[in-house]
Amino acid sequence: MTSNTQSIGIVGAGIMGRLLALELKWQGHTVTLFDRNDRDGRGSCSWTGAGMIAPYCELEAAERMITELGVYSAQRWPKLIKKFAEPVFYHSRGSLVVAHPNDRNELERLRRRVIDNAPRPDIMEEVDGARLGELEPELAGRFPQGLFFPFEQHMANRDLLRAMGKTLETEGVKFVTGFTTQTISSGEISDGHSTHTFDRVIDCRGMGAKSDLPELRGVRGELFYLHAPEVNLSRPVRLMHPRYSIYIVPRPNNEYVVGATAIESDDDRNVTVRSSLELLSAAYTVHTGFAEARVKEASVACRPAFPDNHPRIHTADGLIRVNGLYRHGFLIAPALSEFIASYIQTGAIPEKGKTLFREA
Amino acid sequence: MWKLADKELTNRLIQGTAQYPSPEILCESIRASGAEVVTIALRRQSPKDKAGARFWELIRGLGVHVLPNTAGCRTVKEAVTTAQMARDLFGTSWIKLEVIGDDYTLQPDTTALVEAARILVKDGFEVLPYTTEDLIVAQCLVDAGCRVVMPWGAYIGSAQGLTNKFALMTLRKRLPDTTLIVDAGLGKPSEAAHAMELGYDGVLVNTAIALAKDPVSMARAFGDAVRAGRAAYEAGLITPREMAAPSTPTIGQPFWHSERRE
Repeated sequence: MTSNTQSIGIVGAGIMGRLLALELKWQGHTVTLFDRNDRDGRGSCSWTGAGMIAPYCELEAAERMITELGVYSAQRWPKLIKKFAEPVFYHSRGSLVVAHPNDRNELERLRRRVIDNAPRPDIMEEVDGARLGELEPELAGRFPQGLFFPFEQHMANRDLLRAMGKTLETEGVKFVTGFTTQTISSGEISDGHSTHTFDRVIDCRGMGAKSDLPELRGVRGELFYLHAPEVNLSRPVRLMHPRYSIYIVPRPNNEYVVGATAIESDDDRNVTVRSSLELLSAAYTVHTGFAEARVKEASVACRPAFPDNHPRIHTADGLIRVNGLYRHGFLIAPALSEFIASYIQTGAIPEKGKTLFREA
Repeated sequence: MWKLADKELTNRLIQGTAQYPSPEILCESIRASGAEVVTIALRRQSPKDKAGARFWELIRGLGVHVLPNTAGCRTVKEAVTTAQMARDLFGTSWIKLEVIGDDYTLQPDTTALVEAARILVKDGFEVLPYTTEDLIVAQCLVDAGCRVVMPWGAYIGSAQGLTNKFALMTLRKRLPDTTLIVDAGLGKPSEAAHAMELGYDGVLVNTAIALAKDPVSMARAFGDAVRAGRAAYEAGLITPREMAAPSTPTIGQPFWHSERRE
């Protein structure tokens, strides 16, 4: 099973499945990708993401392991994007974290968590109001202090999914859309009518794999897509608050993604009024220009998570299941993808990712 | 052993379950502190559809008593409906009653709280109300049929400690037969110990553990502090004196040694 050319079937075409399909194709394997949705990835968690590559800011709620995977992935993203068949909105301008004066202790909490968990001193700059105004002129005078993370990145997640879809086509990966998976087993994928056989099958379905991975749970995330002509921000801005922490991530043409809630629930129905009030009020307190913004879309997804909120790679003969990327799909997928590709190529678990692997 | 409502317990720490880095760390924290009662919020988890079931199962797997709360409710009706759903979902008549009156401070609306408590007690609930340190409100809650009253130490999540110690002492003195739990606002284990030294029957802690650098160790520290504070209360604290009282006799010391130097 470690020969250089294998036939590989991947189920689930979110960020993880797409990236893995490309990576394995580039290694010379024959790859078929299956998904219940369309080529653009509508309906996947990745479609709802904000596309922040913010390994340090994420320490707000995540643990060091996610930061390490994120830092590694952040190094890979620019190189990967260059290989895609279409341009992707992608920037490496860092990100800003602010808090209103009453909530400045929340900034302090994040600052301490970063110092405790990230070894390099140059990854975080404490900024005053003046410096903040230099970085984001429209925030001048609004916040007395903040934190700046110069190495963080952001990208348009939907652009990226589309560009990867196009790249899959040009690279010759067979992409089966509208496919309703019934069973996945060693070397086999079935929709109940026909069975496709491969040397190896990789399950990247996220919550779709719930019945095969009983520990998986959904964490509801809600976010807004806004068009705000009066708002000009060049990089992601996070607002820290004891209860209503949000991020605002720029897209081209004055569009912004505002997110996100994290509710222990696998209900993926429409955004609630309470969440809308929280997210949008918080965005308005960052920049009053959001008052006249147009709500283009309110998006909901249930992110797949294991009890420790860390990703897992289950390996068995002819079958790999990767899941539990939680709210960190874009942040950590390049690292996971490389670990899995290396495992398939060599048959050995790579040292860097060894804590993620679980062998049957 | 002590009794919370009609349950015999050994541990006097009640733990909240929000804001932890992961459910796994939450579960380890509960094991580390030894807490036997944990609170669970359900308002935002589409309780009718049991959308939060996976998370609740993880907590139930610990074998602890579940104390569902009405966090996020702002009116009597919302709180009563949420309590009824919680009873069906968790099979318990216990409810931690919260009716929030102010969004920024999460200060309880004590008028609505008393009204909701009356309705729920009549409906057979064991109501554990989250309230301020106000004696009259606490008395009204007791009159409404609450056997347990949970005054705040400070605002929820503020880590300010016991901001009105004297009012908390008055409550303890005036409601000797009511189970009193300090709920909300504790930031340090020493503050939990202090609440216990005042004769409180227990404390409820969430943020101070969940957001600590190492939640599991912090949970253990709070568990230890609560035990120490209770032991101190039972052992009988000495009364502070106006002046220093040497524990060894000073006979034979020249008198000027005891003169203060200016």
